[in-house]
Amino acid sequence: MIKLKDVQKYFYKGEEREVHALKNINLEIEKGEFSVLTGASGCGKTTLLNAIGVLDQISSGSIELEGKEIAHLNSDEKTKIRLNDMGFVFQAYNLVPVLNVRDNIAFIMRLQGYSEDRIKTRVLEIAQLLEIDNKLDSLPSLLSGGQQQRVAVARAVASKPKIILADEPTANLDSKNSQSLMDMMKELNEKEGVTILFASHDEYVVKSVNRIIKLDDGALV
Amino acid sequence: MFKLAIKNIFYYKGRSITTFLLTFFSATLFIIFVSFMHGSHKTMLHNALKVYTGTIQIYQKDYRDEGGYDYLIFDNQKVFNSLEKIKGIKSYTSRVETFGIASSKNNSSAIMLTGVDFKKEAKISELKNALKTGKYNTKSNCLYMGEDLAKKLNISLDHELSFVGSAIDYSFAADIFKLCGTFKTGMYEFDNSSAFLNREYFDGLFYSQNASSYIVINVNDLDKNNYIASQISKSIGKDLKVYTWQDLMKSMVELVKVDSIFGYISMALFFMVIFFVILIYGFINISSRVKEFGVLKSIGLRDIDIDKILIYEILILTLSAIVIAICLGGSIAYYFEINPIVIEGISDMYKDYGIISDTVPTDFDIFTIFWNVSLIFSLNILSLIYPIYYVRTFTPVEAMRHV
Repeated sequence: MIKLKDVQKYFYKGEEREVHALKNINLEIEKGEFSVLTGASGCGKTTLLNAIGVLDQISSGSIELEGKEIAHLNSDEKTKIRLNDMGFVFQAYNLVPVLNVRDNIAFIMRLQGYSEDRIKTRVLEIAQLLEIDNKLDSLPSLLSGGQQQRVAVARAVASKPKIILADEPTANLDSKNSQSLMDMMKELNEKEGVTILFASHDEYVVKSVNRIIKLDDGALV
Repeated sequence: MFKLAIKNIFYYKGRSITTFLLTFFSATLFIIFVSFMHGSHKTMLHNALKVYTGTIQIYQKDYRDEGGYDYLIFDNQKVFNSLEKIKGIKSYTSRVETFGIASSKNNSSAIMLTGVDFKKEAKISELKNALKTGKYNTKSNCLYMGEDLAKKLNISLDHELSFVGSAIDYSFAADIFKLCGTFKTGMYEFDNSSAFLNREYFDGLFYSQNASSYIVINVNDLDKNNYIASQISKSIGKDLKVYTWQDLMKSMVELVKVDSIFGYISMALFFMVIFFVILIYGFINISSRVKEFGVLKSIGLRDIDIDKILIYEILILTLSAIVIAICLGGSIAYYFEINPIVIEGISDMYKDYGIISDTVPTDFDIFTIFWNVSLIFSLNILSLIYPIYYVRTFTPVEAMRHV
């Protein structure tokens, strides 16, 4: 489903402070996988996840999504890929603060042009699955960290993307909430068949996944 | 995007209120400033025209260049008949001017003596209202002169003075007049050298029946003055020449132009300050939101969608601020047009330019208000260009990491 070939990423290239963040990454992620990029802090997990999510530009190499090269598209084409094919869950939740839970979950579906009836049904369905259906009218600022992260997951999964990229989703959660979140994501993976790739060094995450991809100093181990 | 922009406005109240107030105050102040500037110019103009000049004058072709009785209009009635056929003329009258020596018991002075029809003059000029002492008496040899001239001749009401001059057939003309009133228009040269005599008596003394130095006209609508002047010009023949108030009061026109230039320079500086305040505030504002835009980009918003959000936000805030500024600024401009501000002594300062009152009204004009606020609106929109470009330079990841 996703294929990385000789992916390299430099920060501050050509400068004295140059950092070689990703070194010759060759990786394939299959449809339906529930996997994690793990490694010590600063090893390049987030950089690799951002590269796969076309959130950041790679220095060289290629990334294919279902056979289509996506790393070197223009800004609008990359946005389209992110909107239609990918879902994102961030460490800091990154919900839209001015929208209530219902509108946050519906946000991407609205951008995709779904009908309001379809959006309403899907939002309720996913909110029930993630046990936040009683918070649909609340603003994110009124929710706990665990609840906000569930909303972020709901937003990511609502439009049924091909892959969900989750960057340290449990980093701001306590162990109970971390376990609960991972259980829910596992359920989503199994029930909805969504491919999920984490970047995390959290043991709950590492224990829960089916495949562990280890990184060390920007290279796959 | 529109809905999100509205939610942003209400969610970030402090930011929205600051932007709103900045626009509101600049637009309101601008409306008031311009209305006072235009108001003072209009007052100056109206006073000057109202006092004596009228809005149009008709002369025999070379009178203003050569002068003298050879260039008088010798058939007033013919011109009056033409004027009757032209629409938009409010009133008209003829005046005959002569020059001579006036002597009181103690002093003598060269004066300009004008024969006027007091009844018609009342519809054209403010001479009647400018009368400080005495009353108009239309059936005698009563003379009315400027307050400063009376002081110069050292005479007061009911005193007699002699006048020596020339009739329009160049024969000798002399008489004894009685001072029946003094006037003050605020125009120093005028008040210092002018005197008026009832037209009927004047015509008997100077043989000027049906003749005039010039004919003065007032129109109903000053904006149509030039059009009416061209109509008059077509109808009265080639021997007569029509002058508008712009031709007659060139120094005043220049003064208004110079004052407007300084006014617009002040406004340009004001605008530069406003523009940079809005630009800097807007930029700081948007810089603090780069992370938020990074999140929106990462979940699927295109750059154009982010631009739309920013434009909608500024449009909503600016338009609402401008609408209220129009209501408030417009109301203030309208109020002070009806109830002008009184500044004691201003007429003394500007007497040479025909200011005869101490009031400074505003000029309430919808079109002026519209271009004022359009300018403020455009500045707000222009101030958004750089911040929009700035936000576009970030990739989603760079934007999300922005501090």
